[in-house]
Amino acid sequence: MRKVKVWDPIIRLFHWSVVLTFVANAWAIDDESKLHQQVGWLIVALLGLRVLWGLVGTQHARFSDFPPSIPAAMRQVQDIATGRLHHHIGHSPLGAWMIYALLLGLAGLCATGVMMTTDRFWGIGWVEEIHEALMVVTAVAACVHVAAVVIESRRTGVNLPRAMITGTKVMPHDDAR
Amino acid sequence: MTMRDDVENRFPGGAEGLGLAGLMVLQGGCAAFFLGDVVTDFSDIGHQVLFEWHLVLELLASITLVLAIALEGRMLMRLIRRQAHFRRGLSVASGALHDLIEAYFDSWALTAAERDVATFAIKGLSNAEIAQMRGSAEGTVKAHLNAIYRKAGVQGRGALLSMLVEDLMQEPLIAPQT
Repeated sequence: MRKVKVWDPIIRLFHWSVVLTFVANAWAIDDESKLHQQVGWLIVALLGLRVLWGLVGTQHARFSDFPPSIPAAMRQVQDIATGRLHHHIGHSPLGAWMIYALLLGLAGLCATGVMMTTDRFWGIGWVEEIHEALMVVTAVAACVHVAAVVIESRRTGVNLPRAMITGTKVMPHDDAR
Repeated sequence: MTMRDDVENRFPGGAEGLGLAGLMVLQGGCAAFFLGDVVTDFSDIGHQVLFEWHLVLELLASITLVLAIALEGRMLMRLIRRQAHFRRGLSVASGALHDLIEAYFDSWALTAAERDVATFAIKGLSNAEIAQMRGSAEGTVKAHLNAIYRKAGVQGRGALLSMLVEDLMQEPLIAPQT
């Protein structure tokens, strides 16, 4: 067993705050309400913090630690296809793609959401339609994210959800590197 | 060592694999969109949804898309596994050999990891080399090998190999041209 500090408090705070605010705004809070807008602005602030932290944050929080890479992602698919285990300390390559997809989805939601409050775009059909379509696609992506985390935890023997709570990944014995 | 270069310095899946993966992502997006529409309409008008033909169509479309994604996933796994084990996987001979080996692995119900280890063992790699290629410990490789021998009903590496060689000598590697 090897314990590695991976996710700093800001990353974990961001992750669980986004879970809470996104779920609340998508299903619990009335779309027309003032609260929906306030929670939306909170997500804008959280995204701003995450982007800043991606530039100046701790090692595994930085974008340079998990660049979007197709060859690396395909190598991870190969690991899955052949039952090989190469452990990733920070985000795995496939995980990295999901992070960027979710961040972009949230950014698009925030942008169209804010547009709807402006005089210029208020009541315009396509803005609202994009906002709703992005909500569905982001929600499905989040479900795929959760499923992938469960599957990868079982495959690699590293409890990923626990790492996002405690900040520490417990790597199994069987680790050559 | 060349085997290591084989597996590590190549783009797994190549253009074909990338195309498949891209298609899966695209279809996933479409399925999400259709499903989202069905869910929204369902919460709006309730079970009446089943009598709206365009919603039934959307539901069918998303189910079909999800099935297609699952099938493509299987194809992608096979493709990548083949490429991980045979560099010149396009040649007829290695293709036939691979099919033969895969057929054996299927009948023994080997896991993905056991298939990987068995292929390397057949190719003549030592336990240490296999462990290094797979990023795992040597003890794990030994455990995989024992499972393989047990499932194949053979005593060891030599018996495993001779089983395949025997089959290869009975049948021509390259199918006769017709």
